[in-house]
Amino acid sequence: MTDLVVEELTAGYGDARVLHGVSLTVGQGEICAILGPNGAGKTTLLRALSGMIRARGTVTLGGADLTGRSPDTLARQGIAHVPEGRGTFMPLTVEENLRLGAYVRRRGADVEADLDRIHTYFPVLKTRLKQAAGSLSGGEQQMLAIGRALMSRPRLLLLDEPSLGLAPLVTRELFRIVQAINAEERTTVVVVEQNAHLALGIAQQAHVLETGRIVLSGTAEEIRADEQVAQSYLGYRV
Amino acid sequence: MSNPTETNAAQARTAAPPPPPAPPPAEWWRSARWRWGAAALLAAAACYAPFQLVPFHVFQLTMVLIYAVALLGLNLLVGHAGQISLGHGAFFAVGAYTAAILLEHWALPYPLTLPVAAGAAFLLGLAFGVPAMRLRGLYLALVTLAIAIFLVPLLKRFEDLTGGSMGLTLAKPAPPAWSGLAEDQWLYFLTLAVAVAAFLLCAGLLRSRVGRALHAIRDNEGAAEVMGVRLSVHKTLAFAWSAMFAGTAGCVYTWVIGFVSPDSFTVNLSITLLAGLVVGGLGSLSGPVLGGLFVMFVPGLAQDINDAAPGVIFGLLIIAVMYVAPTGLAGLAGRLIRKIPRKE
Repeated sequence: MTDLVVEELTAGYGDARVLHGVSLTVGQGEICAILGPNGAGKTTLLRALSGMIRARGTVTLGGADLTGRSPDTLARQGIAHVPEGRGTFMPLTVEENLRLGAYVRRRGADVEADLDRIHTYFPVLKTRLKQAAGSLSGGEQQMLAIGRALMSRPRLLLLDEPSLGLAPLVTRELFRIVQAINAEERTTVVVVEQNAHLALGIAQQAHVLETGRIVLSGTAEEIRADEQVAQSYLGYRV
Repeated sequence: MSNPTETNAAQARTAAPPPPPAPPPAEWWRSARWRWGAAALLAAAACYAPFQLVPFHVFQLTMVLIYAVALLGLNLLVGHAGQISLGHGAFFAVGAYTAAILLEHWALPYPLTLPVAAGAAFLLGLAFGVPAMRLRGLYLALVTLAIAIFLVPLLKRFEDLTGGSMGLTLAKPAPPAWSGLAEDQWLYFLTLAVAVAAFLLCAGLLRSRVGRALHAIRDNEGAAEVMGVRLSVHKTLAFAWSAMFAGTAGCVYTWVIGFVSPDSFTVNLSITLLAGLVVGGLGSLSGPVLGGLFVMFVPGLAQDINDAAPGVIFGLLIIAVMYVAPTGLAGLAGRLIRKIPRKE
């Protein structure tokens, strides 16, 4: 069953258009990887999906039309965006950051239960609850950012370059957790990633974005097998 | 220096049963017991002071509390929501004049003027919060400065209501007979009650969902937005809340001084308030009180040092404080406390 449907999405900054009509669908509970070189519009695509920038075209999530909505409305509709560079609130404590993630939800009891749930995915956060987020390591901050996004119980999780600036080991651990979250909560995930190998390892399907257009789509295996992708993004020939 | 492997080995040998893992280093000034103790001590001192000081000093202390309430509001806006206002003197003035007009023309009992003045300032803050949705930084500073600039001529204009340049002179609230207090002491305790209430309200607000949203906006607008925080609503409300505290302070100012005139609320007041807050400590709970002390005493101190150029001395003092304590006096106090060796 398809969950996210994007049709002819165009977006940009001021006069500069970055996305030139992107269309894609993501199935309910699937992980979709967006690959592509720098400047292809991967981050812009996620920003358009979460409403951080204005976009034209249509976006529907679970059948509901979300085109042109404001970011806070989209957050209430179940889109959680973990922005590039994590966007953790440095002076606030880990707990405050997590509670901010539940901002769109009103029921206090659920929030407490969710804090526990996040701790099962990211046990390290539990030991750091009263610490300022700025004092965490890069990997811990990324975990905090993802944990915070989960606090809103999203239907769709957008991850922008979760591996950015992290050690390979930490990145692998992070992707393993993302996979576990996806498996347990049936959250649909769209992940933008430079590390194509890792992203294809957890995704069911993938799209390759170049200069604002999708140039290649397919299942993770198909993309992995593609000669061109192998050369450009995986760094080796299959 | 001993060899680290050697010491490790020595520790392993001597510590036969391994010591329990050390608890996280408890910072004693953060412990609840110490905090309550300090609060109780402060409360006792605040209640005891007016019986020991001469009336003029009681009056000065009252003014410190009034400024602290205004700075509490400004701190909410600048220190916690990350906005800026160079026009808070105007909200202060609106509170002061609302109280004065109600007392003068409607002869309202003075306790009733407080909610009306706070409400008027809240609404005005809401109106001026609208530009904050679109402007930031210097542009917002300029718009808020304009509020402070146009207020004085506006007050002089409506002479029937505001008394024009002459202002309004009012009777101060008389101490009730049962209290047995002198006028200055009664005014002090009234102000203290308002200040404590304002402080608790502000602390509660900051601990709530709203407070977290404000901090999120201050630290990263984009990330706050995608978590569902409505920027427009919270920025406007931050202005309104902030103005409400300033208006409350203004109202109490009218009670205590018994006189309002346009010249009491010039642009200078707005700028002094902002300077006082920055010197006191942005975003900290004790910052407004320290800032209140600064606003009240430092201009006088500057006058004492040099009669001819109090402005220069005042400016130099601000520069000196910022040089020594870039996070304000509250930050400096925190740093000093941390220097005290911890008891084992």
